[in-house]
Amino acid sequence: MNFLEIRTILEDELFQSSKSRYSWFFGGIFIFLSLIAIKYGTKIYTLYSFFFLKFEGVPYSLISYLLVLALGPFFVLIIAFDSISSEIETGSIRYIISKVQRSSFILGKGVSLFLGFTIVLSGIAFICLIYQYFADNAIQFEKIFFFWLGSLFYLGSFISIFLFISTLSANNKISFVMSLVFLGILIYFYLQGGESLLKYLSPYSYGIDNLKILKESQIKTEFTGFFKNLFFLFLYTLSFLSLSLFAMKRRDL
Amino acid sequence: MGQNGAGKTTTIKLLSGLSSPTQGQIFVEGLDMASESEKIKELLGLVPQDSGFYAERTALSHMLYYGRLKGLNKKASRKQAQLLLSRVGLATERLKKVGSFSHGMKTRLGIAQALLNEPKILILDEPTNGLDPLGARQIRQILKECGNKGITIFLSSHKLLEVQESCTHIGILDKGKLVAESTIEKLRHLEAGGLITVGVYNLSSEIISLIEAQKFVIKTELKARDLLEISVNSRKDVKPEINRLIVECGGRVFKLMENSLSLEEAYFEATGLKQ
Repeated sequence: MNFLEIRTILEDELFQSSKSRYSWFFGGIFIFLSLIAIKYGTKIYTLYSFFFLKFEGVPYSLISYLLVLALGPFFVLIIAFDSISSEIETGSIRYIISKVQRSSFILGKGVSLFLGFTIVLSGIAFICLIYQYFADNAIQFEKIFFFWLGSLFYLGSFISIFLFISTLSANNKISFVMSLVFLGILIYFYLQGGESLLKYLSPYSYGIDNLKILKESQIKTEFTGFFKNLFFLFLYTLSFLSLSLFAMKRRDL
Repeated sequence: MGQNGAGKTTTIKLLSGLSSPTQGQIFVEGLDMASESEKIKELLGLVPQDSGFYAERTALSHMLYYGRLKGLNKKASRKQAQLLLSRVGLATERLKKVGSFSHGMKTRLGIAQALLNEPKILILDEPTNGLDPLGARQIRQILKECGNKGITIFLSSHKLLEVQESCTHIGILDKGKLVAESTIEKLRHLEAGGLITVGVYNLSSEIISLIEAQKFVIKTELKARDLLEISVNSRKDVKPEINRLIVECGGRVFKLMENSLSLEEAYFEATGLKQ
């Protein structure tokens, strides 16, 4: 692993690559959707106040988190499914791998995706803060911080999954279909519900469980559960990132 | 050199770290690919067969990115990019999107990026494949200049003329095996089977007997009154030795030459495709 190589790939992915424009565009859409959700969330809150019973003030961070839970994986899929496969398909990967280590390439791509979504989530968190300020709500930094951290780990697990699938495929279409199918499988696993072990194989399970900390007025009661879920999401991310590195090392380019 | 499917691209992929060997070892400049691949990458510049550039980006943008990946800082990367783009004749097109480039221009850009950070070895996989005669000539000219600058050029090709014009050493691959490897001249002689024709004004039976008595001589055949064909089995140049023997016996040599094949014939001999 070479940090200079990772940094170069990361910088290029974020600001120079031909796809960075589209990625920022989708990131912008994500932020805009959260803005809409927050704006109209107040109405939803009034209509379905039983859902947010224990919440003090308008639950901006909760509304944003629900949006991340529902749409986040799809946004990650759109941005990450071809991050490696397009390089393999066009052959541009040969120019890169003849200069840098394979692990630097994967990590550079992965970290750039993490960083991109960190910026998008920070944008959403900032919008929450602004709304709280103008709505004369008590500013709940903790809630916003938990939203930001929980969302980051949750989306991070999906980034690593789609990065792995992209590494396996030498064709963008196949990568897209495989990612979509895998996402369907993860949703199916989660829907098994109850005490089914399959449920715990899906990051949805941990992400949705983290809703509790944003719903409760007493954060401390859900503190342990939240960090336990983050740990599992982190393990998930680490496992798929390792699988991507392994697959890349074995790959014939 | 080798036919399609002989293993040329595989060899290049193995040398440049794009594939891993299932068995055996690879050494480049004495460095083991298995343990020192990163050092090897610093020595190499690769021009792969199918140029996979980003269509939306400019030639300069590619060069800057690849320069940074080669470990150059931004300033050095820009300086080298400008210099190398000029060297391959793309200075005026440096701000054009690569998607609008012709195949020949992409190959030249491929060579320019491979020359970043001054590699010791430049590896090219069929660089003139699909190029028109002018484009192919431009590439050969650039490679010649690189060779004059002391860069070792390792290229794969199935174009005999190109190999004959550009290369000093040649290896022939057939079904994944290296069946011949030598300088072009030696190869032509070796594949000719070591035939030497000698012309002697006063060729006597003593001279023929003396030559036949040498260890390296397989057989002799009198082709004319003063022309003897000698089949030799030696990788050394035995012509001076034959000359000395004849002169010592009082003969006067007016012709002494080693028969050779054309590169095409040598290629067919080595690969067994003659039949």
